[in-house]
Amino acid sequence: MFAYSRWLDLLLTLIKAWALLGGFLLLAVVLMTTYSAMAGFLISKPFPGDFELTQMGVAVAAFTFLPYCQLTFSNVSADIFTAGAGPATVRNLNRLGSLIALIFSALLIWRTYAGMLDYQTYLELTTILQIPLWYAFVPTLFSLFLLLIASLITLRYPLGSSNSPLTEI
Amino acid sequence: MGYEMMVGLTGLGCLIALIAIRVPVAYSMILVGGIGVTLLNGPAIFMSQLKDLAYIQFSIYDLSVVPMFVLMGNIASQAGLSKELFRAANAWIGWARGGVAMSAILACAGFGSVCGSSLATASTMGKVALPEFERYNYKGSLATGTLAAGGVLGILIPPSIVLVIYAILVEANIVTMFMAAFIPGAIAVIFFLITIAIYVRFNPDAGPAREAINRHEFWTATFGVLPVMLIFGAVIGGIYFGLYNPTPAAAIGVFLVSAYGFIKGTIRLQEIKVSLYDTAKTTGMVYLILLGAEMLKIFMSRGGVPQAAAEAIANSGLTPMVILVLLLVALIILGCLMDSLSMILLVIPFFWPVVSELDFGLTEEELKIWFGILALIVVELGLITPPVGMNVFVISAMAKDVPMRETFIGVLPFFGAELVRVVLLVSFPVITLWLPRFLSG
Repeated sequence: MFAYSRWLDLLLTLIKAWALLGGFLLLAVVLMTTYSAMAGFLISKPFPGDFELTQMGVAVAAFTFLPYCQLTFSNVSADIFTAGAGPATVRNLNRLGSLIALIFSALLIWRTYAGMLDYQTYLELTTILQIPLWYAFVPTLFSLFLLLIASLITLRYPLGSSNSPLTEI
Repeated sequence: MGYEMMVGLTGLGCLIALIAIRVPVAYSMILVGGIGVTLLNGPAIFMSQLKDLAYIQFSIYDLSVVPMFVLMGNIASQAGLSKELFRAANAWIGWARGGVAMSAILACAGFGSVCGSSLATASTMGKVALPEFERYNYKGSLATGTLAAGGVLGILIPPSIVLVIYAILVEANIVTMFMAAFIPGAIAVIFFLITIAIYVRFNPDAGPAREAINRHEFWTATFGVLPVMLIFGAVIGGIYFGLYNPTPAAAIGVFLVSAYGFIKGTIRLQEIKVSLYDTAKTTGMVYLILLGAEMLKIFMSRGGVPQAAAEAIANSGLTPMVILVLLLVALIILGCLMDSLSMILLVIPFFWPVVSELDFGLTEEELKIWFGILALIVVELGLITPPVGMNVFVISAMAKDVPMRETFIGVLPFFGAELVRVVLLVSFPVITLWLPRFLSG
């Protein structure tokens, strides 16, 4: 038995809420694109910059989904080859994936931060609306930070562990 | 063999080993790709690439149709479309012997036309159709087998998520891919209907006939299905006739399906939230695998593995047809072991260079389309075959009184129909290529 802290609860809620926020961003992109397509189709006046807003919005949204994916074990793996292994082995193999996720997110936070600084220094703007590209890197960094936390959590509670707080996510 | 090739082949071995020991496909690709590129190009180049590799990959415009079609399918699953579809199909042919099963196939096809995922199609239609099968005393294996097989239509009939991914991987036109999928998808529907007809001919008790419905119910049911046709027409029709690109079409689809749900009262904020969470899971998974595939691609093409494989096979003296069949058989086997989407992402970067060298008298663009449809179909067969037939699992979990073994047996006739279809499509590329040729002039 293991009693987990209120902190863990808070982090789980945060990761879930962040993904939902990304979901609503996706929905906003959907509405904007629908409006633009309809306006373009009916009165040949599409929303200017819909293309780049879609690119930016969907990319930012996709990053917000990654920590939630990690927590819900949504990243597909092939379990057929280890179907005969014992539960403890399976748990430890599942931990291996979380470990890679942890290293990857740490590396990507460092590199994305450097990338953001680059985009600030050599200011790159979207073609039509002139939005600085580094804006998109700010929420992305936060998503990656949450991915790091999510990997730590799944390292502690791998798929198949008993009394996992993650089953109710 | 050069150093690069050695590293490349070792990397391939490591990748297979990692996937086999349960490391998620995406992270296996990322790890092997990352280490491989670091070894071959040096850490400095790779570290600099990593600064915006993920962001650039995630912001590819063509990719944005993926989360939108996923969302559209998820909302459609809750909007009550499936009920209307089944009701209409049931009114049209439900009275015949085996009619309920045939209706389920038609409804699956209809649902597949607004949903790009096989699992979602199977589970959504399962909820609606299973009680009906029970009501009319259908044999358990026919009921579950039909639904598991019908689910496959979700992915064959556009929109299809896997097809979008394939198109992006081989740089094919998504619109022409969607056009090409239409006739093979329609053939699947017809073959499944014939399969049921033959099955109940020999096992009349498996799917008893029932009384015809009255004229009023016929028209009400038919009228109820009009919105679905309208949505499909607006989304896929709009794409086919070049009114707008796939991404706006997908957005319009999300909008229309939600509007339908709002009007019907089946979609409220809670349902939207559930759909968004499900979309988050699928989208996150797909995007992460795509990132892994990109890193692996950089590594493998630097190592020269796909080119070497293509060359070796081209020099093997086998005829193009034999090579194609061998590749498809390999895909069927791999598709039985792994999820279809990760399979496509893992294998196509190696298979496509081989296929592109084969001479079938087609242009490269046509070859891409034809092979894509064939690959999609055979990979999807894995959804209804052991050991990891996901569609069968999903339906079995819903129909608790039918043992899983029965469902796998029930799916066998449909598997046979699928093989016939593959042979047909392999023998006559024109079946696949006619519509894109016709529509693109």
